[in-house]
Amino acid sequence: MLRFTLKRLISGIILLLVVGTATFFLAHLAIGDPTVGLLGSSATPAQQAALAHKIGTDRPLLTQFLDWGGHAITGDFGTSWRNFQPVSGQISLKLPVTLSVVTFAIILSAVFGGLFGILAGLNPGTWIDKLVKGAAVVLFALPGFWVSLVLVVWFAVNLKWFPAVGYVQPTMSVQGWLRSITLPAVALALGAIVMVAEQLRNAFIAVNGQDFVRTLRSRGLTQTRVVLHLLRNAAPASLTVLALMFVGLLSGAVVVEQVFALPGIGAMTNGSSQNGDIPILLGITVVSVLFVVIVNFVLDVVLGWLNPKARVQ
Amino acid sequence: MKRASALALVAATALALSACSGGGGNVGGGNSGAGNTALNIGNFADVTSWDPSLADIGFDGPYLSAVYDPLVAVDGDGKPVPALAKDWKVSADFKTVTMDLRTDAKFSDGEPFNADAAVKSLEYLKKGARSQEAYLKVAGFKKVDADTIEINLKERDDTLLYFMGLGRSYMMAPKAIDAGTLAKTPVGSGPYTLDSSSVAGSEYHFTKVKDHWDAAAFKGDPLAIFPIQDQTARDNAMLSGQINVNYADKAAMDQATQQGWNVAKKVSGWVGLRFTDQAGEKFKPLGEVKVRQALNYAFDGAQILKAIGNGLGAATNQVFPAGMPGNLPGLNDKYAFNLAKAKSLLAEAGYPGGFSVTMPMTQVFQVWQPSVDQTFGQLGIKVKWDNMQYMDYQAKAPTYPMFVSFLAMDSNPVATVTRQISTPQWFNPNPQMDKFPDVQAQVSKVLAATPDAQPAEIEKLNTLVTEKAWFSVWYQADNVYVSASNITVTPVTGMMFPTLRQISFKG
Repeated sequence: MLRFTLKRLISGIILLLVVGTATFFLAHLAIGDPTVGLLGSSATPAQQAALAHKIGTDRPLLTQFLDWGGHAITGDFGTSWRNFQPVSGQISLKLPVTLSVVTFAIILSAVFGGLFGILAGLNPGTWIDKLVKGAAVVLFALPGFWVSLVLVVWFAVNLKWFPAVGYVQPTMSVQGWLRSITLPAVALALGAIVMVAEQLRNAFIAVNGQDFVRTLRSRGLTQTRVVLHLLRNAAPASLTVLALMFVGLLSGAVVVEQVFALPGIGAMTNGSSQNGDIPILLGITVVSVLFVVIVNFVLDVVLGWLNPKARVQ
Repeated sequence: MKRASALALVAATALALSACSGGGGNVGGGNSGAGNTALNIGNFADVTSWDPSLADIGFDGPYLSAVYDPLVAVDGDGKPVPALAKDWKVSADFKTVTMDLRTDAKFSDGEPFNADAAVKSLEYLKKGARSQEAYLKVAGFKKVDADTIEINLKERDDTLLYFMGLGRSYMMAPKAIDAGTLAKTPVGSGPYTLDSSSVAGSEYHFTKVKDHWDAAAFKGDPLAIFPIQDQTARDNAMLSGQINVNYADKAAMDQATQQGWNVAKKVSGWVGLRFTDQAGEKFKPLGEVKVRQALNYAFDGAQILKAIGNGLGAATNQVFPAGMPGNLPGLNDKYAFNLAKAKSLLAEAGYPGGFSVTMPMTQVFQVWQPSVDQTFGQLGIKVKWDNMQYMDYQAKAPTYPMFVSFLAMDSNPVATVTRQISTPQWFNPNPQMDKFPDVQAQVSKVLAATPDAQPAEIEKLNTLVTEKAWFSVWYQADNVYVSASNITVTPVTGMMFPTLRQISFKG
């Protein structure tokens, strides 16, 4: 298990290095001279040169990369070119917004996806099974922004149960925070719920037909105990989907944050791209990849624990 | 039964959450009728910077005017009006402006506003990367006495007070300037202070300053500004009552009609082709006036406005804002759409089969790209598009002989003369005035004319550059603002979003 864990860890670090390096050079190639966008059209060439010197873009690209990389390894992503505040500090302000929504969406997906998946898997061919399968097709096909808009129109505009836009920090009001992230999380979760439900349903049906389940039932175990056994055997597929969903939802948050005007990582990415604020973009990229690596690492470890064969493979 | 219970639980949770009003958001209460003074503004963009020297005039008006007072403000027509400067006098040679300052204003950190503070702020603004545009002709600032200052100019500048009023004269607390902390923590003498409950990039809450010298002009209380880039999200926020002033579009205008809200609009920028080489130094065809005129006749501005601009704007071929000084309605038919005439002018200029041209393009302007493709195709002009990021467009577009543009306009006609015609700008780095002595002479007349004679000289200049087809203007686009029935917004050409001074409550 230790060797398995180390291998996963090393591959994650390599991924982080490769993506960080590629993003650095691609971003600098895509955004030529950032000083025009940062200072506005009225800035003089002298002011542009002064800013270029201040942010270090007057140095060779390789020097800039080594400088950035050396600091990034220690967790220092430099300062924003726009407001000169530390990148890590700004990301730490925005990350909780995105993570609040994504984590809430994952919880909703796990709970409701698990519930519907188990119900459909235990009752194949019944109305609930058909409902899950039908909903899977429909909800997965619906574009995220459309679902978001429908939710806003129903629950914010017509019923006025939730705010249409904005974010409330949990330190200001826990209820306000829950209200501000509910609709975005539901919008993100709808597709994930049906994905998880369908995966779990299929795995349940496959496991339910195996000999050991018949043996369990013949020993007189209650239905709840049998379901728990089924769940452990059927869980890996759904866990993989949930992990993939987490990564997908991080990128999906860009659209949802725009529709609900949430000040998260997605909105920050959008704004930094428009302003040519490369340090922010690089910081976001590294942090996002870090999350992907961590989630995949945890998933591999859990799958290895659930299924020893995975460790060997 | 279980399903019904589950649904009831979900509904109860939602209702319980909606019943709580903590923290932020003002669901349902934002755009009700008279008696409600809550002002919740849905702005397009986030604040560029809380430091006025680095801030943009565009959409920063509501943010900065909340926490800072300007020396000079502008009215709906862009005319300078008193603010912290109670009145001013311009010397006979137009090179000295003497301002009489208020003595009853103080900064939110307790420092008094006086001549020393005003001079310090102005000197700071003169050095600012963005704010300096207003003070290019200023030699220096001088304290005369405790409540009087002088602005000394190197040469006459009829746009100084206008630019100061647009948002280039916000006064900052001297200690905050010295500390270099304004970008993060604004310290001004404005009618509000920024509240700590604000969430950067999402919603900014402000606390009203009760003893502000002009408190009566700022009735909005509480005040919140929401930067919401997505138009649909802003419209939904307006419908849900979360905001009661919206930077709007056609859909929001339709909503306003249904809901009985107020709509205010005014032209903000012109759309068309910006020529950068009217002398034909780098691109010979544009040096021919007939070619430039052909490019005016060939575009059906009224139709482009209708089809792409949703009819929100004015079909005019001038860079002076429609309905404002300098713009001449009689000139609008000068280049009435006539493709045959355009072809014939091209032939007369020696380009019967058109010519080839390379132009820049970026996502923002792609909406007008098919119009250019189609029109140029009909004229035989072969266009090659160089696609680029919007960030690069500002830097690179002027290196091409012409480019598709949306250029902001000014209320002040002299500002239009200098920005659009005579002085280098990002969109026109080389105005080539020396190649057009008649235009240069007329610009000189405008800048030297007495205030009474100036409008007539500006109209002559407008006629001249229109006849010379200095630009290919298709139409001028409106900025639209929708507000609740008890709120009135007065748009100002030159600001993408007006300041709080232009947002008032009825009654």
